[in-house]
Amino acid sequence: MADDIKILVVDDEPVVIKSCKRILEAEGYNIDGASGGREAIIAMEQKPYDFVITDLKMPEVDGITLIKWIKKSRPDTGVLIITGYPSQETIKDALELGIIDYVPKPFTPVVLMDVVARAIEWKQRTLPAEAKKKEEEFPPSMMAELDRMISSYKDKPGSLIPVLQRAQEIVGYLPPIVQKRISRGLNIPAAEVHGVVSFYSFFTMKPRGDHIIKVCLGTACYVKGIEEVLEKIKENLHIGVGEITEDRKFSLEAVRCLGACGLAPVMVVDHDTHSAVTPKKVMQIIDEYKTVGAKA
Amino acid sequence: MGRFRANLMVCAGSGCVATKSLKVKEAFEEELQKRGLEKEIDVVLTGCNGFCAQGPIITVHPDEIFYEKIQVEDVPYLVEEHFIKGRPVEKFMYKEPTEKITIPSMHEIPFFKHQVLRVLRNKGIIDPEKIEDYITRDGYLASAKAVTAMTPEEIIKVVKDSGIRGRGGAGFPTGVKWESCARMVSDQKYMCCNGDEGDPGAFMDRSIMEADPHAVIEGMIIGAKAIGATKGYIYVRAEYPLAVHRLQLAIDAATEAGLLGKNILNSGFDFDLEIYQGAGAFVCGESTALMFSIEGRRGMPRLTPPRSTEAGLWGKPTVLNNVETLAAIPQIILNGADWFKSLGTEKSTGTKVFSLTGAINNTGLVEVPMGMTIRQIVYDIGGGVPGARRGRKFKAVQMGGPSGGCIPESLIDTPVTFEDIQKTGAIMGSGGMVFMDNSNCMVGMAKFFLEFTTDESCGKCPPCRVGTKIMLDKLSDLTEGRGKEGDIEILEELSYDIIEGSLCGLGQSAPNPVLTTIQYFRDEYESHIKDKWCKVGVCRKLTTFFINEKVCTGCGACMRACPSKAIIGEKKKPHRIIQEVCIQCRTCYDTCRFQSIIIGPADYKGDPMALLKE
Amino acid sequence: MPRLTIDDLKKIKEEHKATFAVREGGCRAKITVHMGTCGIAAGARTIMTALMDEMAKADVKDVIVTTSGCAGLCSREPMATVEIAGSPPVKYVELNEKKIKEIFDEHILKGNVVEKYAMVVGSETTY
Repeated sequence: MADDIKILVVDDEPVVIKSCKRILEAEGYNIDGASGGREAIIAMEQKPYDFVITDLKMPEVDGITLIKWIKKSRPDTGVLIITGYPSQETIKDALELGIIDYVPKPFTPVVLMDVVARAIEWKQRTLPAEAKKKEEEFPPSMMAELDRMISSYKDKPGSLIPVLQRAQEIVGYLPPIVQKRISRGLNIPAAEVHGVVSFYSFFTMKPRGDHIIKVCLGTACYVKGIEEVLEKIKENLHIGVGEITEDRKFSLEAVRCLGACGLAPVMVVDHDTHSAVTPKKVMQIIDEYKTVGAKA
Repeated sequence: MGRFRANLMVCAGSGCVATKSLKVKEAFEEELQKRGLEKEIDVVLTGCNGFCAQGPIITVHPDEIFYEKIQVEDVPYLVEEHFIKGRPVEKFMYKEPTEKITIPSMHEIPFFKHQVLRVLRNKGIIDPEKIEDYITRDGYLASAKAVTAMTPEEIIKVVKDSGIRGRGGAGFPTGVKWESCARMVSDQKYMCCNGDEGDPGAFMDRSIMEADPHAVIEGMIIGAKAIGATKGYIYVRAEYPLAVHRLQLAIDAATEAGLLGKNILNSGFDFDLEIYQGAGAFVCGESTALMFSIEGRRGMPRLTPPRSTEAGLWGKPTVLNNVETLAAIPQIILNGADWFKSLGTEKSTGTKVFSLTGAINNTGLVEVPMGMTIRQIVYDIGGGVPGARRGRKFKAVQMGGPSGGCIPESLIDTPVTFEDIQKTGAIMGSGGMVFMDNSNCMVGMAKFFLEFTTDESCGKCPPCRVGTKIMLDKLSDLTEGRGKEGDIEILEELSYDIIEGSLCGLGQSAPNPVLTTIQYFRDEYESHIKDKWCKVGVCRKLTTFFINEKVCTGCGACMRACPSKAIIGEKKKPHRIIQEVCIQCRTCYDTCRFQSIIIGPADYKGDPMALLKE
Repeated sequence: MPRLTIDDLKKIKEEHKATFAVREGGCRAKITVHMGTCGIAAGARTIMTALMDEMAKADVKDVIVTTSGCAGLCSREPMATVEIAGSPPVKYVELNEKKIKEIFDEHILKGNVVEKYAMVVGSETTY
């Protein structure tokens, strides 16, 4: 099992690479070394690695730049850092870039082994999210409530949009099966239901995450720099607008003016409005929701 | 009822709620109880106070003390000092941004001092969730008068004479609209309210619906009586949950009191009102599209005539008025047309609510007489542009949202009226004013709005659907260094085609942001094309950043802020940017307090100091 | 709420007028109770409570009560200043529950200054 795992150690001090090799190869991992950021990129272009363990302070291409490159070009590779300067600032920067863990320098073999083992475990745990993606099943109680709601609107003219809004509240999104149920219940052609769903941005046909991040793209927020905030979120969660994170924790949406322009730039997570968001602050805010369960 | 010696008004508009004003309210209640003051001091939640940037906002009456940015942990101290010892707390009061003078009283703060409150007269004074509060402020007297003692003709005459024009955008006279609908003979008519405030940067309607929902309802009752409607809808954007909540409470309370619904005040007049929540489509602010949306269909505009006043919702005669317009109606009925006309200009009467956002010190909501100049709004009310010491100054104001345009500094003395704003190429719109300073790129701004309209075009008319996309591509080319000679002319030509070939207001006005920026900031377009140079450093591919070694103090602020660690240098010695690593994010420019960052054209290899002479 | 008539609307307005006098600032009289540390120690709190009681009993709608800090004359606390719109303010000193009730009846309701408790008419110059 361990010999399947390929790790690249990046450090400008050969002694660090050597000692990592010695400790980790004894555990059965495959270890390669690189003496700097540039060398690391070249090595990674040759073959895939499961993990990269890198120093932060290196001449020329430094650790942060390397991590950025990995996140962009080799997103499947997990990143660990070794640092002799574990100041809050640099660690935070690195964490914001999405590293798994860090090893303070100097380190003992036990610490290094521990951190690597935990990283492997973490990576395996995130995998089953893929499997979860499959066919969506709805509990019968949810469907019953949906039908009850639909029939309460049955003979009211112009009820399609309110019904869709309520349905989205109940189910979370509007997949074809839900649309068909509404079409039958209200006696409206399925094509028309779909036409309305696809027209209004409020409706979504994709499942949403436990937490919904809405970023305001209104003029005031634009003028105050919401774009950089959005970029930061995309980079960190590895999703685009309208997408959902692999673990289904977050979905990211862009909205037109929330009408809270006095607080620009504005981001809403679930029902909380966050004002004057900056690229620096944004991931801190989002991280707070990571530990919280799904919204009520 | 017990008497309170003081009222502590906590703002519960969306802005302040976002900054946790509800928690602050709870903290006050708890603290007052602890101190045994709960019978002396009443804590009241109010609608939006307008001064959103300073939230959470607390005002104390009768002393008229204005506190800003109050946090839960400030509460015990504030209660102790102000309510027990009677000493208003200076450190929580408003500070004038340029002079740093503390101003205790709300009426002395320039932001409030220059305003004339008519539509917003109840903001911060009533609890929007209590109908008694509204009634105490003469609420429902106007609708009572209209329903029991006035004929439709009399109502229409007062509204026409007042000269009030629709506050939603085009400025169509409200009385004329009502009159043409009143003339129609039909078994059913509808009175609707457009609360689909779609212009980004405008939030006055949200604020009114949250702060004074009964005023909107009362205006609708009066309108319904005037045109003979018995059923009405308030269409509210899905993004405004608090407004929906408050309106629903208000409708329920008014119906229970017999002020709305069947047989209003025993007059025999019926008017049923329902809220309709939108589902997120900008085009639904257009009246015919909005009505399709209420009918449960795709909200796409249709050809007019027939006008909605002849054949609107479900083919029946319908009046659709904007929130602010309707909220102004009760006061016109009570005080008369001449009172309304006493402010404003001949063709733009009364007051107008504006939302100030963007690069301005006092962001928030203001109500001023029509005809005030942009300069007065920027400097007297808005408190000027932030960062004046770093060389920031007023560059333009965007009015009318994606349908409007940018008004440059040279026209700063333009009076804000329907007709004067239109002359500049912008439109009044619903009153959103987004201010820009000299760090905003106007080509980027035009692109931002085109992104909006491209996305929001309903797709019915090809000139709008396809034309805006082509314009957006061209603008993207410009901002990314692929601009060519002649692009400006192509943009202009396309604009006129779109204006001519589109059915609704959205399409016809979509090119306005491009046309006005070309008109007033042509040099910026040209430098993007010819010099590959975005002089304000917004378009990343058209800039190179340098540090002016003569000005740099070596404070290290930029070095710490730079996300790509592209700045090097020793303490107290001029720093340097490593161009190979720089990602042109402009963080250093925004961080530097000494204006030492020079912005040059793309891949500039010459002497940075030479750029300063440009 | 039961169905209302136009008269009811006016009645509601009357009932709530007092609250709004506080918020709108339109009032006939203003009583300031000096509540510095010394004032509180001397019993300003009871004065305030008594005053609030009287206000409720008399059901006046156009009088507001506020507090301020120490008036600087600590030896003669509790103190209160009564201002009737259009007349100079009157400072009352060494108050107790009985005295403030009397002042309320005579000065606030009937408009006669209670000279035996008054220290001074008119306020200090502030420049």
